[in-house]
Amino acid sequence: MMKKFGEVILLLLLLLLFFVPHAEGTRYSLPGKPALTRCRSPEKETFTCWWEPGSDGGLPTTYALYYRKENSETVYECPDYHTAGKNSCFFNKNDTSIWVNYNITVVASNALGSTFSDPVDIDVVYIVKPNPPEKVAVTVMEDKGWPFLRVSWEPPHKADTRSGWITLIYELRVKLDGENEWEMHLAGQQKMFNIFSLRSGGRYLVQVRCKPDHGFWSEWSSASHIKVPDYFHRERSVWILITVFFAFIFLIVSWCIHINSHSLKHCILPPVPGPKIRGFDKQLLKNGKSEDIFSALVVSDFPPTSSSNYEDLLVEYLEVYIPEEQELILEESKDLHDGCLKPKGSTFDSDSGRGSCDSHTLLMDKCGEAKDDEQQTDQDGSQTGSEAQRQQAAWEQEALTYAHEDMISPDMSSGRVKTWPSVFSPLPQYSLSPLSQPSSLETAKQHCLSDSLFPPASLSSYLTQPGQSTKEALRSSYSDFCSSNKQPHLLHPQPDARHHLQAHSDVNISSIGHKEAPAGLQLPTVQSTEYVEVHTVNEDDMVLLHPVPSGHSHGKGCLQMHQGEDYSKVNGVDKNNVLLLQRDVIEEQVDMCPCENQDMNGATESCCTSAQKSIPCIHTTLPVQEEKAVNGYVDTATMFPLPIH
Amino acid sequence: MHTMAVIQRSVWALLLWPSLLTVSMPLDCKEEQGSLSGCTSISQEKLLDRVIHHAELIYRVSEESCSLFEEMFLPLPLRLQISQAGYTCITKALPLPSSKSEIQQISDKWLLHSVLMLVQSWIQPLVYLQTTMDRYDHAPDMLLNKTKWVSDKLISLEQGVVVLIKKMLDEGTLATTYSEQGLYQSDVQPEMLESVMRDYTLLSCFKKDAHKMETFLKLLKCRQTDKYNCP
Repeated sequence: MMKKFGEVILLLLLLLLFFVPHAEGTRYSLPGKPALTRCRSPEKETFTCWWEPGSDGGLPTTYALYYRKENSETVYECPDYHTAGKNSCFFNKNDTSIWVNYNITVVASNALGSTFSDPVDIDVVYIVKPNPPEKVAVTVMEDKGWPFLRVSWEPPHKADTRSGWITLIYELRVKLDGENEWEMHLAGQQKMFNIFSLRSGGRYLVQVRCKPDHGFWSEWSSASHIKVPDYFHRERSVWILITVFFAFIFLIVSWCIHINSHSLKHCILPPVPGPKIRGFDKQLLKNGKSEDIFSALVVSDFPPTSSSNYEDLLVEYLEVYIPEEQELILEESKDLHDGCLKPKGSTFDSDSGRGSCDSHTLLMDKCGEAKDDEQQTDQDGSQTGSEAQRQQAAWEQEALTYAHEDMISPDMSSGRVKTWPSVFSPLPQYSLSPLSQPSSLETAKQHCLSDSLFPPASLSSYLTQPGQSTKEALRSSYSDFCSSNKQPHLLHPQPDARHHLQAHSDVNISSIGHKEAPAGLQLPTVQSTEYVEVHTVNEDDMVLLHPVPSGHSHGKGCLQMHQGEDYSKVNGVDKNNVLLLQRDVIEEQVDMCPCENQDMNGATESCCTSAQKSIPCIHTTLPVQEEKAVNGYVDTATMFPLPIH
Repeated sequence: MHTMAVIQRSVWALLLWPSLLTVSMPLDCKEEQGSLSGCTSISQEKLLDRVIHHAELIYRVSEESCSLFEEMFLPLPLRLQISQAGYTCITKALPLPSSKSEIQQISDKWLLHSVLMLVQSWIQPLVYLQTTMDRYDHAPDMLLNKTKWVSDKLISLEQGVVVLIKKMLDEGTLATTYSEQGLYQSDVQPEMLESVMRDYTLLSCFKKDAHKMETFLKLLKCRQTDKYNCP
């Protein structure tokens, strides 16, 4: 009984001891609970587990690892405790299965007892941590002069990547020797990698690691050192070249700017034009004599005293003179002192505009034809008004320009049209005059100023002489000078104008001469001066002119009967560039009467329509043609042998 | 005495109660966790994937070894001779589905069993192949390594298929060997040419069967994921 009681007491004491493990520190105790720290498989074919022992309780403790396979109750013990080192268990190939989980427990036991660790479930596929890559080789290679590093490696020899049992991805890192920051590069499944952007002369360290698709990164391989050769000096030399080049360019540019500083200044900062008043002398102002200054500003002919009508600048109508005899011409030649034709109240100043082309009675696109027609009409000996003279001058110019052109065509007319405004504006023409021969200009001046001294014949003879350009210049300068003349009294009255006109016609025609042979033109014996208005251009490209009775020169002009032919229409142009005039028999002249009293400027158009009904006599143009065929152009000189004084 | 024994056992039981507790407690199953607390069991899908991957690798390596063997040992005229001789594969006798229509009609269970049959029937011949190839004088190491590898992996595959069958079909462990083991062990030292030709036939037959295994398993997987779209 006592024995049993003693055993019971002993057991109870033991129980107490077990349940009060921490009662005394120096006392022996059960071993502490071990813990499995990690299990790793390097190639998915074997694996190893490590554990951490707990306190040993003062007594020698042994450890054992037990495992169970999934869904099996059989408990196995670790087959190999030594291969992997202390506190480890190594499972070889035969014991490793990827199909099942492992349930592993570590037991620590000493004299007093055993302590079990927490069990752990292991799936071999998910604990793979490969060995670091092997044979890491780093070399310096060159790519077009710029070096780069080529890193190559091998997978760990245990990992079976060849068959595909494990698929590894790689990562490498680079840093300069001495720095702290690594540059990471992911290389995927390839076993080679290039690193660019190197510092010349730098010393680099390279490391590689790998990881399976499910698993852990391996440790970094041992660092490989590499030194990049120096290429810095070449880089620098390029920069030096660039710098020198740009400095050179800069020097050149600054030198150029310095040379052209003045003109550049004008270009960039154009001088502000100061106020300029013609005739105003700054020096006088500075001197302080105000009377002198302002007297210079007074322009004698401003404001225009004569009744200037801007509309007079427009060519409303033409004075068409149809001369009858030479004597008449001779008589009238004495009135040449007036020079140019009297304008119809218009004044000439250098600022006169280009009104002629704005006239509503003129059709711009047929201007060329119109001019030619007008010219032919003039060749008949018609008298033109002041504007007409100018106009004719312009026409002559136009005709000349026309002469230069090969064929009449509607397109040409546009060209002629374009020159018309310029022709009519005296200023540009005036500016042309200095370019012309000074002798001709002088002659023109003289002629213009002292008209009585120079008979038209001489003028014409003079003018018919030389080359075309001279004539042209002369003509232009003549007309310009005349037009720019501010003295209206210099202008011829109408009869004189005839001569001038004729002269002009002569000039014109002879100047055209290289292309058109002058042709004689029979002039109808019509006595009085008439005004012709260009009414319209019909569809046959005929300019229809209407004789307009002149209000101030011939009171009875309207009653005149044109018994002869009227060469106021151009029939056409033949192949020799000859204008074919149409000789019309004008029967109805009386109708003009009511027109003459009306305003010349505007309304003549409406009432002169009847004049259109002149009978075209085409057959009558034949003699004209014949004459023309002989010479090529209508030569009034032959028609009007002007007396030479 | 009896009470003392009882008390002792009870004391031991009390001492061991922590372990009982831990064993009885199921742990959470977490995917992709390499840490110590993993799943208690591998899921069926994962298992099937691994088995398929296994079969793929086996097929690939067997293909490589077959072509290697062909290059090394068989000149062209011999190849023609073999095809004319008409060696039969050892697995011809197995009740396997052969045509596509048959495969479509077969059940999952039977697919798995077919695979298992194939695997089990090839384990022994491959082991035998290893021994014969070692006898060759100038067999390259690579070829030998490959064939060794294949034979090892095949054994592993068998284990996997067994586990898979257990998981999918809830069947118990099956007998590991179907094959007729005696077939290839009787030969005493056949003639070199004969040996070569037989080995080549073996390798090519195994290559075909490995492809068959892989196909069955992939079909099984397809049926698992999408039953109606599978061939």
